[in-house]
Amino acid sequence: MIISRTRRSLLAAAVLLGAATGATQVLAQAKPPVRIGAILPLSGAGTFEGQLGLEGMQAAANIINAKGGILGGRKIEIVSYDDKSSPDEGVSAARRAIEQDKVDALVANMFSPIALAMKEVTRGKILHMVLAPQHPKVTEEGHKWLFRLNETTVMRGGNFSKFICTNMNLKSVAILAINDDYGRAEAGNYGKWLAECGVAVKGTEFFQGTDTDFNIQLTKIRGMQADGIYVAASATSQGATIYRQIKQLGYRGTVIASGGNMNPKLIELSGASIEGVYSVSPYVEDVPNPIAAAWRVEYAKNYKNATSFVASLAAAGLEVTAAAMDKAGTSTDYDKIAEAIRGNTWNTVLGDTKFDNIGQGFIASYIVQVKDGKIVTTSKAN
Amino acid sequence: MFWDIFLQQVANGLVNGMGYVLIAVGLTLVFGVLRIVNFAHGEFYMLGAFVTFFAIKLLGVPYLAAVLLATIAVAGMGVLANQVLFKPLRREHEFTILMVSLGLSLLLANGGEIVFGADPKYIPSPFADEAVELGPVFLTWQRIIVLVAAAILIGLVYLFIRFTTMGKMMQATAQNRDGAALSGVNIDWVHTYTFALACGLAAVSGALLGPTAVIFPTIGEWAVLKAFIVVVMGGLGSMGGAVAGGLLLGIAEALGANYISIAFKDAIGYGIVVAVLLWRPAGLFVARK
Repeated sequence: MIISRTRRSLLAAAVLLGAATGATQVLAQAKPPVRIGAILPLSGAGTFEGQLGLEGMQAAANIINAKGGILGGRKIEIVSYDDKSSPDEGVSAARRAIEQDKVDALVANMFSPIALAMKEVTRGKILHMVLAPQHPKVTEEGHKWLFRLNETTVMRGGNFSKFICTNMNLKSVAILAINDDYGRAEAGNYGKWLAECGVAVKGTEFFQGTDTDFNIQLTKIRGMQADGIYVAASATSQGATIYRQIKQLGYRGTVIASGGNMNPKLIELSGASIEGVYSVSPYVEDVPNPIAAAWRVEYAKNYKNATSFVASLAAAGLEVTAAAMDKAGTSTDYDKIAEAIRGNTWNTVLGDTKFDNIGQGFIASYIVQVKDGKIVTTSKAN
Repeated sequence: MFWDIFLQQVANGLVNGMGYVLIAVGLTLVFGVLRIVNFAHGEFYMLGAFVTFFAIKLLGVPYLAAVLLATIAVAGMGVLANQVLFKPLRREHEFTILMVSLGLSLLLANGGEIVFGADPKYIPSPFADEAVELGPVFLTWQRIIVLVAAAILIGLVYLFIRFTTMGKMMQATAQNRDGAALSGVNIDWVHTYTFALACGLAAVSGALLGPTAVIFPTIGEWAVLKAFIVVVMGGLGSMGGAVAGGLLLGIAEALGANYISIAFKDAIGYGIVVAVLLWRPAGLFVARK
């Protein structure tokens, strides 16, 4: 289970008590754990994504710990922090993790605005493994100890827009995007790419991260009479309402979900209205991967949610961080760990994972479509 | 095409506005009668949605029965909140009460995440996805139910306050608490009734609006914010003002977002509030005698 900071002191007391009672236990507990700060949205609009991330990470940690941990027997301990889906709170959580709790590394972030703010606090201080954010500047303006696992909007969109242009037979689209760094980047890029390959972009509408009703935007979009709607919604709660309301307003065209935002919960919440929707995702369950299979078993043992892309990202982030620490022989010499991350290919729940010089990750990704309420892989995207 | 979009936006605005009205009437009642600015009002809206969800899921009752059940259950929780928190503090400074309501709001929202889970949920209403075409306007049955039910409920509340003895005692308490008490009005009962009514209305709006989107434990934050805008627009404590304010806000948001910019959708409400407060400084706290 996830150990909160308050509970940890109790645990420490229990460990001391245990240590006093038996010599073998003293040996087992002699090595301090490697503490990983997981800064995720555990309240606010991104609560569900944060919860999935934490679950995915803990399941991966359980597997590593069951094999004896890293660095000659040190266990992984995850210390969770709530960024409340807000950049300000993310920054203060990072400060607490670094200065007060002195964690060994940060494996963090579901949303771009928070990662963009938080990287300035981690710069020169700590290893920062960014998980889901897709804004190019996270790595372009990152630092030597910052890595980002997910593809950027540019990497993913370049491939996906080609697929949209060649396979979907659309003459025009309208774009609906969340009004934050991520959504504005998506809207700008897709507007450009789709226009370049001959799909007219009839208009772009934005919604706020706090919106719960999208009829006003969708009415305007319906009036544009486009063949397709491209939806860039990063929170499951908002995506599900959008897909339902698109159908409720009588729209019959093609619907496309932005990359990385297709998950089983979204399908459960959206019901029949998400049937046939296309997206692109690095995590698919119908492509064989023994590491992912073992992780799914461990995940299912502990949690009732279905495994998802955000959970797999968090698991892979922890796997790379832990394995690189093990290889570098240290949990705090970030130059050595960063060098190890850059210099190797890591076998994770997302398959082979590599990082370039600025810390940008490279993972496989796939074109997926919802068929009969299931996410089905139709082709490889990169 | 112009009229198609215009009419659809007016319909969207009316439905959203009626939702705002339903939430705001309870807020304004509690302020008018008890002089409490209840920040936790949005959480009773959230509880209404979640009790409906769990009544369907765990008890297997049909949607409309679940709505009724949620309304009664949450009205009961409102009474409990009044008895445990607000009644003992009745003579305290208004800021103390304000802080308590803020605390209750946080407690319920965060408690909701622990008890209900943080994952978003969908209330399976049989009316949610089936749309009716009224000329160029698409409305789901759920949205039509929101409109009609809200109109009926607001009418009933009005009649209750205007013509029943309890309603008249509520009016008397709102005008002058000590005077009402001296002339034999049981203030405790009036407060209990008012809280039950207000929280019941919040719950029914959560139960009816829930299936138009998905629900999660922090939806109350949104609800109370909109309700505050409506109540300030219409005048704190005024029911007619809440109805006019809610509908005006709903339609202004829909048309403003369509013809000016969607980026302004939330700003429109605040803009109207600023204007109202400038023209009518008898707004928010100054309205007190």
